[in-house]
Amino acid sequence: MDPQSTIILGKAIGAGLAMIGAAGGGIGIGLAVGGAVQAMGRNPDHTPTIQTNMILGVAFAEAVAIYALVVSLIILFVLS
Amino acid sequence: MNSFWNGKRRFVALLMFLAGVFVALRVPPVIPFIQLPGEKFPEGFDIPFLDIRLTNTFVGSVIVWILLLLFAVYVSRRRPKDGNEVPPGGFYYLFEVLFEGLMGFVGGIAGGRHFRLIFNMFMTIFLVVLLANWMELVPGVDTVGFIHPHVKEKYDVDSGEYKVITTDGYEIYQGFLGASYVNGQCDWVSPASEAAADQAALVAADAAAASAEAALLQDAAYARYKAAHNGHGEDGEAETGDDHGSDAAVEGDSVALARGEVLDARVAAKQARADRGCYSGVGPVPWADGAEAGDGEAGSKKTKIPLHPDPSSDEAKLVPWVVLPFVRVPSTDLNMTLTIALISFVMIQYIGFKALGIGYLTKFFNFATLFKSPLGGIDVAVGLLELIGDFAKILSFSFRLLGNIFAGSILLFVMSFLIPILPWPFFILEFFVGVIQALVFALLTAIFMNLATISHHHEDDHHDEAH
Repeated sequence: MDPQSTIILGKAIGAGLAMIGAAGGGIGIGLAVGGAVQAMGRNPDHTPTIQTNMILGVAFAEAVAIYALVVSLIILFVLS
Repeated sequence: MNSFWNGKRRFVALLMFLAGVFVALRVPPVIPFIQLPGEKFPEGFDIPFLDIRLTNTFVGSVIVWILLLLFAVYVSRRRPKDGNEVPPGGFYYLFEVLFEGLMGFVGGIAGGRHFRLIFNMFMTIFLVVLLANWMELVPGVDTVGFIHPHVKEKYDVDSGEYKVITTDGYEIYQGFLGASYVNGQCDWVSPASEAAADQAALVAADAAAASAEAALLQDAAYARYKAAHNGHGEDGEAETGDDHGSDAAVEGDSVALARGEVLDARVAAKQARADRGCYSGVGPVPWADGAEAGDGEAGSKKTKIPLHPDPSSDEAKLVPWVVLPFVRVPSTDLNMTLTIALISFVMIQYIGFKALGIGYLTKFFNFATLFKSPLGGIDVAVGLLELIGDFAKILSFSFRLLGNIFAGSILLFVMSFLIPILPWPFFILEFFVGVIQALVFALLTAIFMNLATISHHHEDDHHDEAH
């Protein structure tokens, strides 16, 4: 196989594998928002507090997925 | 304003849509060229007094600063003075709504003794990051810039030479190899400045040779003078004649020698750049023979093409041209996000020391209960984890913003390429992503600053109550 093609193949597979990490972030965000919506439904008076904490938790969960994204972007665009 | 869009003039939207279709058909979209580090401007765009090359993300952040300054000046000028009941109106109200809403929001989270400092940091970070993020929605950002060929260096194992190839594998045989734009690692030295540097080196060499020659002539004149005064008759004259001849020879040699040395030095410098992966030079490159230029069948990968071909020729179609934008979204550069993350980190530690004094350190190095309680070791471990977690905040802050905005701008590039007529929904999505990321960055800073002011120790609590 052409060496250039091999490099592209490896980069594409690596970037795709790195993005598996985003699944964890998605599950986490889903759990956090689901729990927050349930809590808001039970006591709507505490919506602002719950919302703030939810956004925080979502940001933390999302950060992990973003790390995976950054790794895959680096594999694609920085490695040569 | 509402009636303007609801009335007969809705056809404006239709016209704009049709114009989009026309432009997309007339000028086909090009595949986006994506690069993670901020691209360096070509030579001549240095930051004055510093040995730093300007990057396009830096230009973007300067624009953000200028906009923020104008914004601050505007708001402070429009603010109603005492006794002045005239409502300022317009854009000022937007700022007031934003300010009051966020003030209440932060007050609910961190409304304590240190609210002023926390809110100042919150608002500053929010506005800077918000403007930086929204730059990706501005037309012209990321799209208008220098056009240059995209080439890279490749070490050819067979011949043991560096070859310059386009991304499609065509070899380039002449012209300047501007920056090997691969990964933005190389400086772009234009052929004109390269030639000027060559010329300047030669002139300097000539001047050096001339002064050396003048010194030699002076020596010779002195020798002749001495010979004339000390020597006797014909003997001396013959000697001086010989001396003059040999002087001319020496002088010619010295000029040639100096020029040769200078040229050697220039070639060595260019070779050093080539070894670093960045070749730049005019004229024949060390590995390209003029005689071989243009050999091979047209269209095959063996074809060698000039870097700056005649635009009307077939060769021009083989050179991949890319754009180096004048302005790029600053949040897509790790330098900007890391800087704000470091500022945030420093402010978190500062407010911790300000609120708790030196006792703030017991949050990280908690040896007080080590020998008092059976579980004291856990406190030490927790403190060390807090220490590591605090440094991890820098990483988390910077990569969260970078990843979101860089991925967002790639999304915009790719969608503008795939559906050039209707990429608007993605612009709306990025509008909200920009707001949310700015809010998250600022909010996390505010929350961490608030957490740093809260003491975990009962003794400290008593201390606070005593105040």
